[in-house]
Amino acid sequence: MTAYGFLLPNIAGLLVFVFIPIIYAFYVSLHDWNALTPKVFSGFDNYKQLWEDTQWWDSVKKTLLFSIIYVPLLFFLSLLSAVLVHAIRGKVSGIVRTMFLLPFAITSVISAIIGMFMLDPRNGVINHLLNAVGVGSQQFLGSTTQAMFSIIGVILWINIGYNMIIFLSAIKEIPRDYYEAAEIDGATGWRAFKSITLPLLRETSTFILIVTTIGSFQALDQILVMTHGGPANSTEVSVLYIFKQGFELLNMGYASALAFVLFLIIFSLSLIQLKLLSSKK
Amino acid sequence: MGLVFGLLLIFPVYMLVISSLRAETTVFDFNLLPTEFELANFKDAWSNSSLPRSILNSLFVSITVTVVALLFHSMSGYALARFNFPGKSVIFAWMLSTLMVPLTVIMIPLYLVTKDLGLSNSYAGLIVPSIFNAYGIFLFRQFYRDFPKELEEAGYMEGLSLAGTFFRIALPLSVPVIVPLTIGFFLANWNAYLWPLIITQDEKLWVVQQALAHLVGGGYFTPWNVVLAAAVIAAIPTFILFFVAQRYLVEGIKMSGIK
Repeated sequence: MTAYGFLLPNIAGLLVFVFIPIIYAFYVSLHDWNALTPKVFSGFDNYKQLWEDTQWWDSVKKTLLFSIIYVPLLFFLSLLSAVLVHAIRGKVSGIVRTMFLLPFAITSVISAIIGMFMLDPRNGVINHLLNAVGVGSQQFLGSTTQAMFSIIGVILWINIGYNMIIFLSAIKEIPRDYYEAAEIDGATGWRAFKSITLPLLRETSTFILIVTTIGSFQALDQILVMTHGGPANSTEVSVLYIFKQGFELLNMGYASALAFVLFLIIFSLSLIQLKLLSSKK
Repeated sequence: MGLVFGLLLIFPVYMLVISSLRAETTVFDFNLLPTEFELANFKDAWSNSSLPRSILNSLFVSITVTVVALLFHSMSGYALARFNFPGKSVIFAWMLSTLMVPLTVIMIPLYLVTKDLGLSNSYAGLIVPSIFNAYGIFLFRQFYRDFPKELEEAGYMEGLSLAGTFFRIALPLSVPVIVPLTIGFFLANWNAYLWPLIITQDEKLWVVQQALAHLVGGGYFTPWNVVLAAAVIAAIPTFILFFVAQRYLVEGIKMSGIK
């Protein structure tokens, strides 16, 4: 009895605030509903509309573009950071680790504000720096081709530290003797990294790749603040499109259908993640 | 090389701080050294925006969510680690499966459900849905599985009930898992922007991230030096936590990596 009593608050909470919303999303997605007038049952019309909605598929493309650039870059940069921080000996190492981790303490909205300030098309410090080396000023967030990259840069910046720490703690667990043995065989530097560090980080790498990939489908805070999807929809990723359909256009039925499809995609990706991770152990 | 990269990463934070101390006319000047000390910016940011109230709101929401979540999660984690009862593994698996459902995916139906419960545009709407997640339950369960049974047996000998043993013996000894989770929960809620944006309309309920976002996207012009000063003020609690408890922050990150 005590056991159920201890579990009750969480079971009730997860039921009401996670489980029921998913089912409710599917129910609402079968209706035409603007949140103000009564729901009108419309079968799978919303899903048909989704199939033909070019703006939705555009947002899917933007999401994929975001992921394809963001995920490998974050992976590479945080692994590189971990190796660099690991290589530093003595007192400085703690300070450098703090430097890498500091952006993690910046909230997403503040990171967006700093990004907007530094990337200002006319006076931003990044343009000043570019001008100083002879490159002309860029539009960044004002340009349809550069806005997405600018946002990716900001999100990368605050997330490297977290992933670096995970890589670093995995690297620290690799026994020293492995490297000493490799050194006797003449393998140092890059070769030691390739033949020892990288294979032994496989599990950590899988974890980071999958968590980052799923996370990359959800980037929304910075986009809301920095561009709100603009200019000319060039940064309108899927979650933002859902947000706009639901909370700005009040197409609750249609937005629910979109959300339900996104849920299925992310849920299956997570299941693959679980499979991959548990098969490794 | 690592040092150079590290400097590159803190450069934007450095720019934020030195620029927040400049005048409106010089805030964009190309000068990488701290040149001015315009404390008036902070006074402006504090008095001319919804910042003070939003900071109180954020503190209230973050602290409440953290305390209640720690209580509920530790109870559930303890039950899953220590008690045997029908349906245990199913309940645990079901709880873990909710980890695969991020807020962005359910924001529409979660809003609708919360609104139907009469919680929209209220503190309860900000707080209650943020309490429940399987992550804390999972970490508490791991912790209590390795917890020495002898201590609890001493409790039963003293005549304590199951619940009494938990609250009097196990919970007070859970500091190693409570500290990193406290920091993690507090930071996550201080950082929250999307959910508060969805669930509140009333400016009185704005949390700090909303108040900040409003300064750069509210449709009227706020000078950049004041915006940056506001951002610095809003960053103070996280920076204090960062520098005071970095060790535990790192601990928490590692714990999240092991799941």
